[in-house]
Amino acid sequence: MLHDAMTHVVLVEDSDEDADTAEEALRRTLLPARMQRVISGEACLALLTGVPGLLPSLIVMDLGTPGLDGRDALREIRRDQRLSGVAVVVTSTSANPRDVDFCYQAGVNAYHVKPVNHLEHLDAMTAMFEYWLRRVELPMPQPCPR
Amino acid sequence: MSNHTTADRHPGDEAEAGHLPWAGQAYSVKRFGVTITNCDTEPVQTPGCIQGHGALLVLNRSDLCVAQASENSDALLGRAAVALLGQPVSLVLGAQEEASLRRLLGRDDCEHNPRYLCTLPAHDSVPALDVSVHTVDGVVVVEFEATGRSQPRPEPASWDPIGRVQHSVARLQKADTLQALGDIATAEIRSLTGLDRVMVYRFHADGHGEVVAESRRDDLAPWLGMHYPAQDIPEPAREVFRRVWIRPMREVGAPLAELVPLAHPDTGRPLTMTHCALRGPSVMYTEYLQNMGVTAGLTLAIRRGDQLWGLIAGHHYSGPHDMSFEMRAACELLAVVVSLQHRAAQEREELVYRLQLDNVLQQLVTQAAHEGGLSALLDGPPTLLDAMAAGGAALLHRDSWTRAGAVPPEPELQALGAWLANRPELIDVERPIFVTDALAREYPPAAAWAGCGGGLMAIALSRTLGDMVLWFRPETLQTVRWGGNPDDKPRVPGPHGMRLTPRRSFELFVDSVRGRSLPWKSVEVDAAVRFRAILMELVVSRAAQLASLNTDLARSNDDLDAFAYVASHDLKEPLRGIYKYAHQMATDAAERNDPDRERLAGLLRLALRMDSLLDSLLHFSRVGRVALLLEPVDVNEVVAEAIEMVDGRRRDKPAEIVVPVRLPVVQADRVRLREVFVNLLSNALKYNDSPITQVEIGCTVAGPQAPTGDGSPPGVTFFVRDNGIGIHPRHVDQVFKMFKRLHGRDEFGGGTGAGLTIVRKLVERHGGDVWFESTFGQGSTFFFTIPRVPAAKSNAA
Repeated sequence: MLHDAMTHVVLVEDSDEDADTAEEALRRTLLPARMQRVISGEACLALLTGVPGLLPSLIVMDLGTPGLDGRDALREIRRDQRLSGVAVVVTSTSANPRDVDFCYQAGVNAYHVKPVNHLEHLDAMTAMFEYWLRRVELPMPQPCPR
Repeated sequence: MSNHTTADRHPGDEAEAGHLPWAGQAYSVKRFGVTITNCDTEPVQTPGCIQGHGALLVLNRSDLCVAQASENSDALLGRAAVALLGQPVSLVLGAQEEASLRRLLGRDDCEHNPRYLCTLPAHDSVPALDVSVHTVDGVVVVEFEATGRSQPRPEPASWDPIGRVQHSVARLQKADTLQALGDIATAEIRSLTGLDRVMVYRFHADGHGEVVAESRRDDLAPWLGMHYPAQDIPEPAREVFRRVWIRPMREVGAPLAELVPLAHPDTGRPLTMTHCALRGPSVMYTEYLQNMGVTAGLTLAIRRGDQLWGLIAGHHYSGPHDMSFEMRAACELLAVVVSLQHRAAQEREELVYRLQLDNVLQQLVTQAAHEGGLSALLDGPPTLLDAMAAGGAALLHRDSWTRAGAVPPEPELQALGAWLANRPELIDVERPIFVTDALAREYPPAAAWAGCGGGLMAIALSRTLGDMVLWFRPETLQTVRWGGNPDDKPRVPGPHGMRLTPRRSFELFVDSVRGRSLPWKSVEVDAAVRFRAILMELVVSRAAQLASLNTDLARSNDDLDAFAYVASHDLKEPLRGIYKYAHQMATDAAERNDPDRERLAGLLRLALRMDSLLDSLLHFSRVGRVALLLEPVDVNEVVAEAIEMVDGRRRDKPAEIVVPVRLPVVQADRVRLREVFVNLLSNALKYNDSPITQVEIGCTVAGPQAPTGDGSPPGVTFFVRDNGIGIHPRHVDQVFKMFKRLHGRDEFGGGTGAGLTIVRKLVERHGGDVWFESTFGQGSTFFFTIPRVPAAKSNAA
């Protein structure tokens, strides 16, 4: 669609600092991408199903958001056939194998652990955006189902 | 119970009689008694003779004419027996008493039931004679008894039989135990009769008897508690006492008077004398009493329904003893009262015993419940042994035996347990109990167990585990005082040799009770069954408790996992924010050459350290819970991998790591074992200020025992030895503590202090121990064991 040539990214993140880091990382890629931030799983699902326009190409989701947990949101998204073209990447503080296993079984595209060291964190997020928005071919964005 | 083949014999049994010395004719004690060799064949109910102090007439029912008369009629009744035959009885009784007799017979309650008719006055040399009458087998039996009285009725005023009996009955009714009942009965009957000794003689299930109560003249030796072989009271005698209540004997060994003729002239049958007070005593009984020095006797029955429970036996040692009809009637009445009271007293007594047993068993169950195991049943007090009148008790629980009291040695117990496990009685769903009072008869090896091979009661507690409780009861021979035991009494040959002496009867008897214990009472068997039921409930509720504990444990493990995760996640998120701001400020400060930049650098360092502490905490919590994957592991490979992993950390100075011996294969979790070696190796490399770091890895199969060793199975001991800084003795207790660092946080390359804690946890999860030896300033050696059979094997399943 011509009116929106920019790649659309949704960030699900309740931490302002981490959201800031994600935005900085996206800026550093110099990609023509637009990032929309929500702070909960519910808000993310509402955005995907209730707003006119195209679906995002990529969802970057923190696992431990308030309200509807990232795990639940992930499960909902992957259960909905109409959202199958959206790539979902989880970022989490947890390196617990149980969390990792859960996310891959629920159909996540990638799982990243957020380091405490800011520079490492920033590098990891930058590399993630580079990979998903530049290196990888994603399907054409579809209209939001209603 | 011993097998009396003659239990059903009846008087005049022709088939049997054909093999006896008096075959083909009527029996007479007087003529054939000495030929008797077997008590159980003597026709004691048709002895053909009466005690000579009285006379007896047999009348035809129809005309009351004499059909048989005792041979002493001449002396006592004034006419020879032959002269009386065919004559009307009025010849002896007079017309008036004959009329009384007709009235008595007309009332029709004389069958098998002697009734007092009258007392004939004394005349010339003949004493006064009590006359009693009863009917049997269609004839009328008239007994004339010299009772020592010179006056006809009424009795002297001092003798008030009704009052005496009322008094005695009132006392008997107050008895609330069998013992009290017996004590009162013996005292009352002795006081009533004036006999020298009166005993209650109880028959046990195997037929042998025991004196359970006694009243005696003070100068006589007590017989209370004595046991007598079953043969002492032969079956024919017992049969008599199932039919009559009383059996008097005025004078033991007194002359007998034979009936003339011996058999009834019309029917050819001998007279059934079961109900005759004058019945001639069995030759065996006479000898038996004579051997004991008894000169007169009285025997009364104690019955429970139609069962003969025991006897009340009265002995007199000082010559003949007259017992009047009234006195005998009073005694008979007391015997009936004792029999009636008996059931109630026994039930009360059993109730008391049952409560006692239940009380102890309940205590045992409580004990087991509190201490959490069946083994508490023999820890006591009380123990299983107190719960039952037994000589020994044993418990098989989880394949091991616990014993108390007189119990066979363990290998024998094991064999017995295996034999019992296959007994159908113990597989029974309702009452899995095996009870015997003669174990060796069913399980021959028990014959060799001196002192404990008599009786056995066994209950199964768990079929799957084979748990059981056994109670052993010693042989009766070893537990009771035997009357007639040759060790107690001198050899006393009887008039017919050794036939009926106590010695002989004891020998007869020993064969029948060898290997036998006193029987288990039904109260005891029931208590054991109840005990089992309560124990099973306990075991089942324990299992339920364990299951719920397991659930709780699983839940709390999950909770712990969730906690560790939440802690690490929730603590790390703000930490990342802190780090980020500090980083931004530090960047700005560096550009401005701000003096705060040093402090901001410190803040960054602290945040990273906090991060690694959280990682260690998370890791440690997982080490304790995640299941081990046990498999055969070649430790050489594991050590090689560990050396490779730590290799990068020793670039700053030269180090030699040597593995001089070939390491074994052990059952372990490969990844965890490698982690142990990595931790120990990196410590060895890290805490080292020697010019050349030297580390040796090795093992000793039978190596030094862990100081904390608790007897766990031997395994392989591995060690990691270094020439490092060593551990100061004052730090010895600190080494394995969580996050305990012995050095400044930046000395020796820093670290969280979790390494050795994790090592210990991992080794313990394998069922091993970890310890160290160290010389401060010269180096340390860390040892750890991996058992051959790891204690954590359940995790591998």
